Amino acid sequence: MTEIISFDQVTRAKGHKFPGGEYSIQHWENFLLSACTGAEVMHDGVVHPIALFHVPILGSGTTIAEMFALGCADSDMSISIESYDWQLFNPLRENARYDVQGKITEVSRHNDKPEDTGSVYDRIVFDFELHNDGLLTASSTVVWHYNRGQR
Amino acid sequence: MNVNEGDELPHWTMASVSAERMQTMAAILRDPNPVHWDRKSVRELGLGERCINQGPLGIGYMVNMLHSWAGENCIRRMFVRFPNPIILDGDHIVSKGIVTKRYQQDSLAMAEVETWLERDGERGLIEATVTLQLPAD
Repeated sequence: MTEIISFDQVTRAKGHKFPGGEYSIQHWENFLLSACTGAEVMHDGVVHPIALFHVPILGSGTTIAEMFALGCADSDMSISIESYDWQLFNPLRENARYDVQGKITEVSRHNDKPEDTGSVYDRIVFDFELHNDGLLTASSTVVWHYNRGQR
Repeated sequence: MNVNEGDELPHWTMASVSAERMQTMAAILRDPNPVHWDRKSVRELGLGERCINQGPLGIGYMVNMLHSWAGENCIRRMFVRFPNPIILDGDHIVSKGIVTKRYQQDSLAMAEVETWLERDGERGLIEATVTLQLPAD
């Protein structure tokens, strides 16, 4: 049994708004990103959709490390992913300037059933939006579990 | 594009997941988690001396399959779930999918696809429900 961080401490993160900012995806970044997946870079400067993981995070002025810290993660390995929900209203393009905003919209504590693992985790929802010229281009909702061990 | 519910998508294969690609990806993502770039840190977890693939790279294999099938820019929405997402360097991963819905929306041809990754026939690593705009006939 380990001492579990109080939910009061964790829930302070709810409503946290990241500073926001601008992000422009360069050709080299898109090229490398595509190559990492085993794909050729797309035509006409279109960006590989997996940019919807890191562009919202970095563009809104945060980092993966800060997101771990905001949820009071015990370690890097204590995080597990529930889901990513990506919406593309228009393709992402190289060199376009995206205005990126992000915030924590939900924080909740859960207990696995004792017959499963009996472990405790906090579920944190991060919502991001990317606008270009005032139009919503894409959104990303990241849901992570911050595992706290067994009660 | 002639698409019907129940159609299987042509598979897309990553013959061998690469630790070097994970390292490049970690730099792009500014991801400090050593399990993606330091094999020794994974050994300490009892998973052997192999790096753990980033979730977005697994999603990338699905995206590549969808692009090969329905063309670049086809993806409108991806809802991705991670039941058992531990993919290690050297793994042979196959992306598969099936059309679950075919419909018109504002005169556009649309489809919904269930897609997943398999390793040695094991399903349920990463799964996604994807909304696609199909190319015009």
